[in-house]
Amino acid sequence: MKMTNIYEGSYQWIVFGRDENKPDNIIDTNQYMVRTADKCLLIDPGGVELFAPMLAAVLHYAPVDQITDLFASHQDPDIISSLGLWDQALPNAKLHSSALWEGFIRHFGCESIEYVPIADGGGVINLGDIELRVIPAHYMHSSANFNIYDPQAKILMSGDIGAALEASGAPMYVDNFDAHVEKMRFFHQRWMPSNQAKRVWIDSVRELDIDIMAPQHGRIFKGDDVNRFLDWFEALPVGIAVQ
Amino acid sequence: MNRDKTKSQFVAVASIAAELSAVMEVAKEISLAAANAKAIAFRAGEKAKGFQPITDFINELAKETIELVRAINEHALLLYQLTVNEYRMTDTYTKIELVATKAQGAAYEDSIEQSLLEAGQRMNECRRSFKSSVTQLLDQLEEVMHPARAARVIAANSRIEASQAGEYLQSLQAVAESVDNAAQVIHDNVQRCRSALSVVDLTE
Repeated sequence: MKMTNIYEGSYQWIVFGRDENKPDNIIDTNQYMVRTADKCLLIDPGGVELFAPMLAAVLHYAPVDQITDLFASHQDPDIISSLGLWDQALPNAKLHSSALWEGFIRHFGCESIEYVPIADGGGVINLGDIELRVIPAHYMHSSANFNIYDPQAKILMSGDIGAALEASGAPMYVDNFDAHVEKMRFFHQRWMPSNQAKRVWIDSVRELDIDIMAPQHGRIFKGDDVNRFLDWFEALPVGIAVQ
Repeated sequence: MNRDKTKSQFVAVASIAAELSAVMEVAKEISLAAANAKAIAFRAGEKAKGFQPITDFINELAKETIELVRAINEHALLLYQLTVNEYRMTDTYTKIELVATKAQGAAYEDSIEQSLLEAGQRMNECRRSFKSSVTQLLDQLEEVMHPARAARVIAANSRIEASQAGEYLQSLQAVAESVDNAAQVIHDNVQRCRSALSVVDLTE
């Protein structure tokens, strides 16, 4: 599992991904960790196949008892089907996810972890030293869907928005936006169902100060590439399966 | 536990439910046969005097079987849940064990030890509960064989009594036949349940 620091301040953001031992027939995912002095948030901790390499990688940064918070942007198996295993491994943790998906996500196993339901309007996740904003991104692509925004690090973890279908071992950052577009087009046109939801999300995200946009698949956008993505996405018709 | 063994356990526990459902149907048939026999014996009057108390026995045996099967069904449901729990806990333990291997050299590798220990304890507890539940179920299955055996004896007595019932001979012999067949079916199905459970390793 590749581990890359994407923000280093009084706390850290780390991305985990490009697992060499991942079976070929499951989609590659990026897992994120926000590490403060005594707490850790794992963002979209991944599917059941990824649990062991993911937790082993996390142990390079934090002990088990300081993994205090999990966040699932939505209910998909590549996001959170590992929950039943985290549930048995973590002595004191909370899962922050949509209130709408609670009864569904609990199918993955959630006995000891506390499920903290997020209302449609979003909310905050408090990690002691810092507070992260939970931004609504409904229908992008899941019907109840959230992003995480860190105003201090200026990072937006955008879930499936900005995702790309890449060959294994692809670099962590977008280095040529124009070349990257074709890796994102089908993903967004087919998995994003609503042009209206897309416009609402773009309007809300344009109000944020973002240095890094970090999706759950593919590469991370930095600097001007964030706005390039928003412009490209704004012009892209989505929901093509029914057009 | 290996994957094939787990699969066999799931299949064994699920097949018990199917076998028991058939036993329940047959027990209900016996109950119906008892009611029929009672009506025939009543019509036959003096000619089937010896048959009348037998019909009450048949009815009691059917009731007893139905009650026992209900209890076994509830137990089989619990056993299925325990099978799922055992599978989950074993899988969790294996995965956390893998974390411990993969985390070698990580700054916080030791912190996984407590989780591994607790997962191991939970797995062993699940195994113990599962095995104890299988043993109890086997006892219950043995218990349900008793009325089935008794039903066969009663069927034999019924044939003797039927032979003295004159024109009711054939009807009463049919009742005896149906009780005998039903008892045989129950015996065979319960035997299959016991064989299905033989895939479970009950050793510590």
